[in-house]
Amino acid sequence: MAEIILRRWGGELAIAGAIALFLLPLLGIPGKTYLTLTIAGLAMGMLLFLVASGLSIIFGLMDVLNFAHGSLFAWGAYVGFTVFNLMMDWVEADSVLMNLGVFAIAIVIAMIAVAILGIILERVIVRRVYGNHLFQILITFGATIVLVELISVFWGPNDEVMTVPFTFRGNWDVMDVIVDRYRVICIVIGLLVYSVIKLILKKTKIGTIVRAGVENREMVQAMGHNIFLLFTGVFAVGAGLAALGGVAMSVFSLQVYPHMGSTYLLFAFIIVIIGGLGSVTGSLVGALIVGLSYNYVAYLVPWAAAGSNVIIMIVILLVRPTGLFPSGE
Amino acid sequence: MAEKTPVQLFHLEDKRKRYRRSDFYLRIGVLGLLFLIPFLFPSYKTVDLAMKIVIYAVLVASFDIMLGYTGILSFGHGMFFGIGAYSVAFLIGKYGDPSYFNLMLGMAIALLAAAALAVIISFLSLRVKAIFFAMITLAIAELAIVLATKLSGFTGGEDGISLSMPGIFAVSFSAGEFLGIEITGRVFTYYLILLSCLGLFIVMLRFTHSPLGRVLQAIRDNEQRAEALGYKTFIFQGISITFGCVMAALVGGLYAMWVGYVNPESCLGVFEIMLAVLLMCIIGGMGTLYGGIVGAAFYLITETFLPDLQHLARDFFPNALFLHNVLERWSLVLGVLFILIVIFFPKGVIGSVRDYLARGSR
Repeated sequence: MAEIILRRWGGELAIAGAIALFLLPLLGIPGKTYLTLTIAGLAMGMLLFLVASGLSIIFGLMDVLNFAHGSLFAWGAYVGFTVFNLMMDWVEADSVLMNLGVFAIAIVIAMIAVAILGIILERVIVRRVYGNHLFQILITFGATIVLVELISVFWGPNDEVMTVPFTFRGNWDVMDVIVDRYRVICIVIGLLVYSVIKLILKKTKIGTIVRAGVENREMVQAMGHNIFLLFTGVFAVGAGLAALGGVAMSVFSLQVYPHMGSTYLLFAFIIVIIGGLGSVTGSLVGALIVGLSYNYVAYLVPWAAAGSNVIIMIVILLVRPTGLFPSGE
Repeated sequence: MAEKTPVQLFHLEDKRKRYRRSDFYLRIGVLGLLFLIPFLFPSYKTVDLAMKIVIYAVLVASFDIMLGYTGILSFGHGMFFGIGAYSVAFLIGKYGDPSYFNLMLGMAIALLAAAALAVIISFLSLRVKAIFFAMITLAIAELAIVLATKLSGFTGGEDGISLSMPGIFAVSFSAGEFLGIEITGRVFTYYLILLSCLGLFIVMLRFTHSPLGRVLQAIRDNEQRAEALGYKTFIFQGISITFGCVMAALVGGLYAMWVGYVNPESCLGVFEIMLAVLLMCIIGGMGTLYGGIVGAAFYLITETFLPDLQHLARDFFPNALFLHNVLERWSLVLGVLFILIVIFFPKGVIGSVRDYLARGSR
């Protein structure tokens, strides 16, 4: 009996259980604070999703674990920081359009710059070690050292303060619930990116080839597609997503520093382990789990915040070693 | 057992040639030099440097057991090093008096704690894929740093723990003069750690040359084939990880004895220790054990004398701007060197030299 119920309603039960789990903190947190924390957690989760999705797609298609992803993220943040500094009057202007404009320009320039960096990285370094996981990790780790040092060379080794565009500052007061404006923007960006990725993967020819490549690389090659060109393209897209995450996250956390990549790379690893390496939806779900639980735990037990993610990761590994959404979904 | 297997014949042949090979005397020479260092160069800086080279060489060797001999990359090696350092520091620094018994107890606790944690982590990650090990150890190592920093009541937080050695190893102890050098507790500590490191190194050499070590190399080279031959790769990888991590913890304990101070950054830091260990391992050569000595010597000597080198470059070549820039950005150079070695000399210094000699003798 129980088995039949599980087979028929297992998915729904899991979702209900997850919802119950996320309402659980209500016992210790007042309702309005809970809503504020939830929005903060969703925003953080969306930003982490941007980093993790690139890592996950690259692994899914190319079977490459990119340890340099964090430094690409940091590069994105620094390029965005430079654009903000160059267009300071737009950043400080009291106009939504100008603020959104400078934000969009910063994102586009950072994405292009870091995508080019990603192409160079893939062509020069990663291509030499396809098929050998150990050397991939070693060589991308080496690339991380170089990229982080280059940041110190160009921008200096110190923390820099990131300016938030003028109209993005402050809060809205929705029925006594404090809603930070920028967090809403982050959630919108995350949802947009997720739907765009999903649409491309489902509806376009390139997306179909990428999905086929995740399933079976040799077969795609046998069908006459240049898989190496595809690899470079996907690596560039992944790098661009990391850059987008970098710009958005630096405005979120109000600062940029050369080693910022390693912190978020760690989050990204935890997320892809939870969600399943190679799955975009898994990255989103994993990122939201990490973002929400981080915020709840940080409010309830401040010192345990960093540990809660690792604990969740360990539990998931014990229950479902391949992650919530196995690759290819 | 009348018939000897080809492997046994090969070993016999190898043993007979032992005293005619140059690398045997090179090893003896290096060891002799390390034994004489406190008398040849009694300055604090050189003795400290030599000791750190020894400690890091053995740490890198223990890392190499996992990376070079089993093909598993761990970013948590620094954490196990820190576990060893902290358990010694707890026993003779924070929660106990400096005594020989407490010292031994600290090392024993380091061994047990590291073994337990390594078994748990390898069970968690190897179930999925060996590459998960790199990610999971990175996450857990970061957690360890956070715990060591935040639980300041237990671990001393960012301030760390100072410790002093017992009996004849105490800094203040003096046994008079010998050959014009004052024999202090530092000298005794030097020899204690040198002998312990030598012992650990020999144990690791034995481990890699044992039948178990051969199985590990087979798994590294072709996991499916090793599994098809009937070896439970999961168990063997777990053994290798546990062995490497326990060795790292013991080295960590020795490190704490020498430095007399532990804090989260210097003993647990992912980017402080792991970066150094990885660089040393890659430069010296993966899968050689001896590579650690070359890598550690290169890395630590350049690190120690880098300011002097910069001054020298400025005094003697005031116009060589490129040289100045290279020395100013030393970590960048190390990073590029790292990538180049991984691409072009994946066997590192020792492996490449061995290949070259083997080609020459044929």
